[in-house]
Amino acid sequence: MKPAAFEHTAPAELNDALKLLAQPGAKPLSGGQSLSPMMNLRLVRPTTLVDIKRLPGLRGVMATAEHIRFGAATTHAEIEDGIVPDPTNGLMPHVAHGIAYRAVRNRGTLGGSLAHADPAADWPSVMAALGATIITSTSRRIPAEGFILAPFTTALTPGEIILAVEVPRLPPGARWGYCKINRKIGEFAKAIGIAIETPRRLLAGAVEGPPVLLEKLDDIPTRLPHLDAAAQRLAGIAVQRAIAMMES
Amino acid sequence: MKQGVGAPITRKEDDRFLRGRGKYVGDIQLAGMREVAFLRSPVAHGLIRAVRAPQGAMVFTMADLTGVLPIRAPSALPGFRRTDQWPLAQTRVRQVGEPIAMVVAGSRAEAEDILDAITLDIEELPAATDMLAHRAGPPIHEGWPDNVVLQALVDDDISDVQAPIIIRRRLRTARQHMAPLEGRGVVARWDSRLNQLEMHTSSQMVHVTKTGLAECLGLPESAVRIISPDVGGGFGYKGILLQEEVAIGWLARKLGGTPLRWIEDRREGLSAQANCREHHYDITVHADRDGTILALDCEAHVDSGAYSAYPFSACLEAAQIGSILPGPYVVPRYRCKTWSVATNKPPILPYRGVARTGVCYALETTLDAVARAAGISPVELRLRNLPGPEQMPYLNVTKKIFDSGDYPEALRRAAEAVDAPGFAARQKAAREEGRLIGQGFAVFCEQGAHGTSVYHGWGIPFVPGAEPCQARLTPDGGLELRVGVHSHGQGMETTLAQVAHEILGVPVDRVQLIHGDTALTPYSTGTWGSRCAVMAGGAVAEACMELRRRLIPMGAHLLQDKDAVFADGAVRAGAASVTVAEIARTFHRAPQNLTEAMQAQGLECTVGHKTVRDTGTFSYACHAVEAEVDAATGHVTLTRYVIVEDGGVLLNPLIADGQVLGGTAQGIGTALFEEMPYDTGGQPLASTLADYMLPGASDVPDIEILHMETPSPISRFGQKGIGESGAIGPPAAIVNAINDAIAHLGREVTDLPATPERVLAALA
Amino acid sequence: MIEITVNGEARRVEAPARTHLADVLREHCGLTGTHLGCEQGVCGACTVMVNGVPTRSCLLYAHEAAGMEVTTIEGLDEDPVAEALRAAFSKHHALQCGYCTPGMMMTARDIVTRLGAVDEDRIRDELAGNLCRCTGYRGIVRAIAEVAATRPAAAPLPKREVPLTPPPAPLAAPAATASADLPNRLTHSETLALSPDAAWAILSDPARIAACVPGMTLLRHEGEAVEGEFSVILGPFSARFAGAGTLTLDAGSRTGRLRGQGRDGANGAEGEVEWHLTPDGAGTTLQVELGWRLTGPLAQFSRPALLRGMVAALAGDFARNLERAARGEAPAARPGLWSLIRAWFRGLFAR
Repeated sequence: MKPAAFEHTAPAELNDALKLLAQPGAKPLSGGQSLSPMMNLRLVRPTTLVDIKRLPGLRGVMATAEHIRFGAATTHAEIEDGIVPDPTNGLMPHVAHGIAYRAVRNRGTLGGSLAHADPAADWPSVMAALGATIITSTSRRIPAEGFILAPFTTALTPGEIILAVEVPRLPPGARWGYCKINRKIGEFAKAIGIAIETPRRLLAGAVEGPPVLLEKLDDIPTRLPHLDAAAQRLAGIAVQRAIAMMES
Repeated sequence: MKQGVGAPITRKEDDRFLRGRGKYVGDIQLAGMREVAFLRSPVAHGLIRAVRAPQGAMVFTMADLTGVLPIRAPSALPGFRRTDQWPLAQTRVRQVGEPIAMVVAGSRAEAEDILDAITLDIEELPAATDMLAHRAGPPIHEGWPDNVVLQALVDDDISDVQAPIIIRRRLRTARQHMAPLEGRGVVARWDSRLNQLEMHTSSQMVHVTKTGLAECLGLPESAVRIISPDVGGGFGYKGILLQEEVAIGWLARKLGGTPLRWIEDRREGLSAQANCREHHYDITVHADRDGTILALDCEAHVDSGAYSAYPFSACLEAAQIGSILPGPYVVPRYRCKTWSVATNKPPILPYRGVARTGVCYALETTLDAVARAAGISPVELRLRNLPGPEQMPYLNVTKKIFDSGDYPEALRRAAEAVDAPGFAARQKAAREEGRLIGQGFAVFCEQGAHGTSVYHGWGIPFVPGAEPCQARLTPDGGLELRVGVHSHGQGMETTLAQVAHEILGVPVDRVQLIHGDTALTPYSTGTWGSRCAVMAGGAVAEACMELRRRLIPMGAHLLQDKDAVFADGAVRAGAASVTVAEIARTFHRAPQNLTEAMQAQGLECTVGHKTVRDTGTFSYACHAVEAEVDAATGHVTLTRYVIVEDGGVLLNPLIADGQVLGGTAQGIGTALFEEMPYDTGGQPLASTLADYMLPGASDVPDIEILHMETPSPISRFGQKGIGESGAIGPPAAIVNAINDAIAHLGREVTDLPATPERVLAALA
Repeated sequence: MIEITVNGEARRVEAPARTHLADVLREHCGLTGTHLGCEQGVCGACTVMVNGVPTRSCLLYAHEAAGMEVTTIEGLDEDPVAEALRAAFSKHHALQCGYCTPGMMMTARDIVTRLGAVDEDRIRDELAGNLCRCTGYRGIVRAIAEVAATRPAAAPLPKREVPLTPPPAPLAAPAATASADLPNRLTHSETLALSPDAAWAILSDPARIAACVPGMTLLRHEGEAVEGEFSVILGPFSARFAGAGTLTLDAGSRTGRLRGQGRDGANGAEGEVEWHLTPDGAGTTLQVELGWRLTGPLAQFSRPALLRGMVAALAGDFARNLERAARGEAPAARPGLWSLIRAWFRGLFAR
């Protein structure tokens, strides 16, 4: 299938982009690796695509002693290859390597993935586990945990876009574990488990809803009540394996 | 380097593909070409109340297609119920995706815009989606009492069999989609000079398509030319006459010259086009205490979908189950009842392996249960029941003639390769570490290249006869071969050239294979049934032999020695010789040097080939698998995969391996990944490749192949058909390995594919 | 009009914005070596180099690619790495029908140049995004390994295996299967800080019920018959569709049931929501049960778990709005889930 007709705009300045995005039917386009398949199936039909991936401020990184701020248009491949610094002792490159396929990683972006808000994607869970902060075009700072309200639904208001993601540095030597349960490379995850040693964080990500931070493994039934028993069990396995990986 | 039969030379066709210079249907650009798209039914069963097209759009429904007949693929088997598959639905739709209207626009995107603008008023009816529950009805076809397309019985009353071991299993294989990387596609125009429809279509069988299309369009066959260029994978998916081909053929003729193109996209392919493989078995094996099979009893259902697809018909799959369920084994007593059931799903088509994959799965997994009951190893059980080499040719219980081979030896070699005797110790050690590992085997045979005597009994729209080849020596000493089969990955541009080289000594790179065009090639049923190496290979050999018979007297005449003989690409008399190229040049450009009779005879001939007996070659194989089951997630990892394959004499071992490896990857898909689910309303639930999962490189292990080469006594070089073989064994071998891994828990997987969910359900 | 460099040549192409790069190459530049296998980013047949890195040309719209440098399979004729790969692919019989081959060559070249000498496991992992239906991959993997071995190895990816954990206790019995009528079902319960009677007062008034369903407008209500419009937006999706239904209320058991269906063009949806109130201490437990059935492209876009997640959030919104309504507050007008579903349906049903 071919997409329904739309206009493509690539404004040079953020303010121009935001003006365009305020129009009805406008939709921001970053890497397009999740949006384009849906557009090609005509499941999504924006009237205008506002190409934001080359906007000043959405590219590049800024490092401080406490955190690294990634431009929203940082690609998965740049994270995988260490072209941008890694504040997470290898967690982010490890995760990036496991996203879809290399050709998709070359174009797909960190901010785009978060804004798309597919709970089966990696970054929503990872950013929530890392305690990252999402910085938006209205200068809001939104904690990654709670950013996704429901599948495909975020705390962003209409016309608001992600400019950057601020990821706190893990202490040197702090260990982590990551487990994504899927049958095939590139398949949508059925469950995601993340364990971080310091600061101690446990997270269960699942396809049916937003990722959830846990105090302990046993929290899953109460913290993820919307999942059926089998999905809860799978989430538990993912977290358990992430812990085992962290401790190995 | 040797180039003839048996030489593992690299393929002639590779270079164009490696440079992106292949030419597929979608690559054809004709001036003024317009794009066609189809409005398809969103419901599985319904009555069309109205189709309202937007003003000014080119939209056609069946009411416009005057004089066009439905696609009919009946069988002459008693009781078969015929279906009419209209190119565009008349009033009733019977599957999601059934074409309802055809639109034309300047681009595909614009054509889809028109589809969006059409208002379709359709009244949904209850859908028949389960072949067991809906066998009795309500009927989806007018005038039928139920949904049974055909019921068949291999009737041996086995009630007197007294067996100490009786194992019964109910097993199901999933509905699948063949999913070649390239979908279907058509580029067509009416050639007003030749008064002929010229249709490029991605097809395995151009001549059969031409016959079927001419019938539906009411045209003489001379008014239809079908061209199938490079084809991006077939596997059975392209062995069917499409409704779209008929509809576009009609429109091309009506427009009188405007070229039309329709390229199936992945969503159309997955949600609307033919499927395969959905079987249900209720199978019982009766065995003696030592595991000797005493009788086999089965009731099997095949979900045939809504229509009987042309030309193989809706009954082929079930009829095959009845005839091949006993597999490679000595089965003294046999009863089998089969039903082909019509449902509100796309028609079922023979996919690589056809019913053999399901049959092998049903029998081999049940036999493992027999082995467990008998307390012997799966290898031992099979060795007790396979016919020995001394029994060849072996006439089995369903009158199949296994032509040659040593079946037990294939199993022994596989068992040795995977250290079957030592596996129990490894399995025990793994269990102590908390790991579940298992070993599984499957032995099967594959009838290929079977012909007239097998097919005429089914009374389906085509019956293969002698396979033809036209051979022509050109003035420069090159050889042109014209065949009615089609090569779409099988490497026939290379292997058939090797056959020609074997007979005539013409270098492989001077042999050109012309195929895939009804105007240029002799009539053939095309590429299906693992027949090309045997049938087209034999035909090329016969045609080249005929040329050789003509070349020898010409050479002898030129050498002035009546005792001259043919050897190594030349006619020779002592030290003197005249090459094939020289004779060809003489014939075409200096005929005065030959006799009048030789000039009349020429260096071009068409010869038909049949095997010594047309009951088919029987290749056979043993697949041996080791798998690890993750008891927490249900994931299965294949850790070892060994195949012992006997394909008789291999025309090109490199290419034969490729066929086995590719088939095996597809079989792994059947075993673990591929499933086309439908909801109770008949909605297909996998419309993208993210939902319908094909095995990727990391899902397929490094497969090892060991060869045996027992010549077939019935084929030209002793070669056997093996094109489908790889796809037959994997589900049986893999599920046997899974069941072995969890046998100590008393659990078994019964349904395909063995997804994590199914493995967990078995463990629960 | 866009300008794009293809195989070293500056091209000016006139193509609508919705044309993806693969179609620009195939239909406008005559470079048909780039194949389309799915247009969903999964199969990899359309992979080309964009600014030197492998890219899905079906997922990049031509206007995004303006100014970029594109290399297609036809542009690798003289490339020495591709030359070595071609020889190795042929030697190892790494292609059959040839349809996946151009995309496979792009990925193979990327593996060889980016990673150098790597083992076969890593090659299989890197090839996961290029599907081949013919070869079973063995020849492809061996061919790439052979060429890669002639090049220096890049720094290996740190290998982090997930260790095995002991299998947990067996699963609970699977949930009851969905009814054939509405195959997808979901229940949601919420505790309301309201008495059952107060809650029922709201939940038995059609206008107020409709007001609690964000995006729903009640157009007509006569006896049990209702007609309304339902608009939703969910992230990228949006839609609006009109339908008719039946509202039944049973004050005795404090149970209400709204069943409706909407059709537009070729697509349809059918749904049912049932709510039931039971006393719970001072408050009330609200149990909402949803059932739905879809026909058409949405039904066939198989992410059932995802759809369940969306509907669960809808049920939650509904219940929370009930509570707000009971407190005399207006329903939350958040552009969340309901707006996503509106978007989704607009695409499918609004013709």
